[in-house]
Amino acid sequence: MKKSRLKIIIGIFLAMVSISFLAYVLSPPFSRPALSLKGLFGSEETDHLVGQYTTIVNEQGNILSMMARKVTVGDQLITDEGKNYRVEKVDENRATAKFLGMDPEIISYGNFYTKQAIAAAGKPAGQPASIAMYHTHSDESYVPTDGTDSIPFKGGIYHVGESMADELGAVRTKVNYDQTPHDPHDNNAYNRSRRTAVNLIKAKPVAVFDIHRDGIPDPSYYRASISGKDVARLRLVIGRENPRMSANMDFAKRMMAAANSAQPKVVKEIFIGKGNYNQDLLPTALLIEAGTYTNTREEAEKGIALFAGIVPSVLGVTGSPGAPVTDVTARNTGTWRALAWIVGVALVGGGAFLVISTGSWSGALKKLSGFWNELTGIAFKRRNRL
Amino acid sequence: MEQFPASIIILIIVSVLIYLGLAQRVLDRMYLSDRGALLVIAAIIIGSFINLPVPFTPVNTTINVGGGLVPAGLAVYLLVKAGSTKEWIRALSATVATAVIVYALGSLVMRGSTAEPGGRFEYIDSLYLYPLVGGLTAYIFGRSRRAAFVAAVLGVLLVDVIQYVWLVNNRAPAAAVVSIGGAGILDTVILAGIVAVLLAEVIGEIRERLRGGPDVEGRPPELLRGLRKPELDQEGVEDDEKE
Repeated sequence: MKKSRLKIIIGIFLAMVSISFLAYVLSPPFSRPALSLKGLFGSEETDHLVGQYTTIVNEQGNILSMMARKVTVGDQLITDEGKNYRVEKVDENRATAKFLGMDPEIISYGNFYTKQAIAAAGKPAGQPASIAMYHTHSDESYVPTDGTDSIPFKGGIYHVGESMADELGAVRTKVNYDQTPHDPHDNNAYNRSRRTAVNLIKAKPVAVFDIHRDGIPDPSYYRASISGKDVARLRLVIGRENPRMSANMDFAKRMMAAANSAQPKVVKEIFIGKGNYNQDLLPTALLIEAGTYTNTREEAEKGIALFAGIVPSVLGVTGSPGAPVTDVTARNTGTWRALAWIVGVALVGGGAFLVISTGSWSGALKKLSGFWNELTGIAFKRRNRL
Repeated sequence: MEQFPASIIILIIVSVLIYLGLAQRVLDRMYLSDRGALLVIAAIIIGSFINLPVPFTPVNTTINVGGGLVPAGLAVYLLVKAGSTKEWIRALSATVATAVIVYALGSLVMRGSTAEPGGRFEYIDSLYLYPLVGGLTAYIFGRSRRAAFVAAVLGVLLVDVIQYVWLVNNRAPAAAVVSIGGAGILDTVILAGIVAVLLAEVIGEIRERLRGGPDVEGRPPELLRGLRKPELDQEGVEDDEKE
C-alpha cells in the first residue's frame, strides 16, 4: 500500500511540474491568465460593450445609480441625500430598487458634522495613529489620462492613491501606503490583497482603505464641480458577505456624512452588495471607488483628495486641541448589532447542529455538557475521578 | 487598537474567540487530541507573525508559518494517516478539483479590467469561494472531514502556485509578491480548512440523520474505524460514563 502511495505522489508531482512548465512555455506575456481556457469564459473585450453594466432605477423608472458589476436582489443603495433603497428585482442589466425611507443614521451624522465644524489639523496627541491604504486591483487606470483602462502592475490608480496619501500627510496623519500589486484583475485578487491588508493591520491602523475606480462608460455619472474644481465623485462599497458588516456600515455612513458636510456631495453614494472585500479584518475597513475609467485621472485625484482631507478628523486622529469627540462610533448601535448577530448566529447555528447530529434536545444537551467537561478536562486532567 | 471604542474592541474579541473555538472543534475532528488541537492553534497564531522567504525564485515569494506551513503540514499528516488508499486518492483528487474550480471561477469567470469591484459575475467573495468549493468537492469526492480539510487547504495552496506561474509568465516587476498563507490565521488557507470541515460535517450529519446512520455494510475496517466519533475514544468521556 505504501509503495502505491509513493507512486501516486511522484505521479501527481510530475504532472504538476509538467503543467507548470507547459503553461510557462506556451503563454506569451500579458496575454491571458495562466492556464486560461481561451474563449470558454469570454474575453475581456466584452466588458466594454454597451450594456455591460447595471443601472439601478427606482419604482418610477428614474435612474438612481450605475455600476459595472452584477447587482442582486437584496443589495442596498444609500444616496448622498440619505435615501435608502433596496434592490427588489433584477432584469439583465437593469435593477429596480424600492425606497425604504430616509436613513436615520445618515441624517443624524449629517446634522452632527454640520453643527460640529470639522476639526482643523493639529499636532497629533499621544500615540500617533496611522491610516493604511492599498489597491486590490492594481492595474486600474483612467483612459483619458493613461491611454488605457488597465496597466498591469502599475495602473493609474497608484497616482490616485498617492493623491490621498499626500493629502493625509498634509494634515499630519501617518499614512501606511502599501503599493504591492495584486494582478491579475480578478476576484481572486481579494485573496491576494488580504495578505497585504493583514500585514498593514499588524501596525494597528485606525482605518484601512482599498482604493479602486469604477468601470461604467459614462464619466458624467461621477463628474461634478466641487469648490470650483472638476472632480470625480466617490462611491463607498460595503460587502454583505461580512459577519461584522453593520460595524463597517456605520463607518461608511459616518465617512459619507462627514465628507459631504465639509465638501458637498463628494461621496456620491454607499452601495451594499455581495462580496467581503476583506472588510471582516477591521470594522473600519472600506472600499472606495474613485470615479470611473472614462474620467480623467486628475478628476479622480482631486475627488479623493477632498475626501482624504476630512478622514483624520472623523477618526479623531488629528489631535487638535479642543477637538470635538468626532468618533461617534462609541454611541452608535451598528457595532453592537454586529456583535449581537455574530453571537446569535453562533448560538443558533451551534444549537441547530447539535440537535441535528444527536437527533434530540436531550442528546444535544448531553453533548453540550460533554463539551464542557472536555473543555475543563483540557485544563485539569481528570484521571483519578473514579 | 487603543484608538477604538469599547464596542469595537469587544466585537473583535468575541469574533476571535468564536473563530478560535470553531478552529479547535475542527481540529478535534481531525483525530488530534485536545491538547494537540490547542498546540496547532498556538503554532498557527505564533506562526502568523513569521514570513519565511523562499529562496531561488524569480518572483519574490514568501511562505507564512501559521498560514502556510502549519496547515500544509497538518494536511500532509492527515494524508499519511488516511484510513485507506481509496480515501487518500479521493482527498488528492478533491484537492486538484478544488484548485481548478476555484481558479476557474475566481480568475477566469469573475474578472475583467472594467468590472468593479469584484467582477461582473461576482456572486461570492473569494474568501468564501475557497472553503465552499473545497468543502463541496471534498464531500463529493471523499465524503470525509479529513478529505475536506486536505482538499481545501492544499487546493488554496495550489492556486498560489498557479499565481506564481502567472507572475513568472508575465514578467512581474520586483514589487510583485507571492505571499503563501501570508494572512496567517486570517488567511483563506486556514478559513478554507475550517469551513470545509464544518460544511462536510453538517452535510454529513444531516445526511446520516436522514438515512438513520452511516452505511457500514461492505466498508473496509480502516474506514469504519474512521467513522467512529472522535470523542468516544477520549478518556474524559469514558470517565464520565463510569461515574
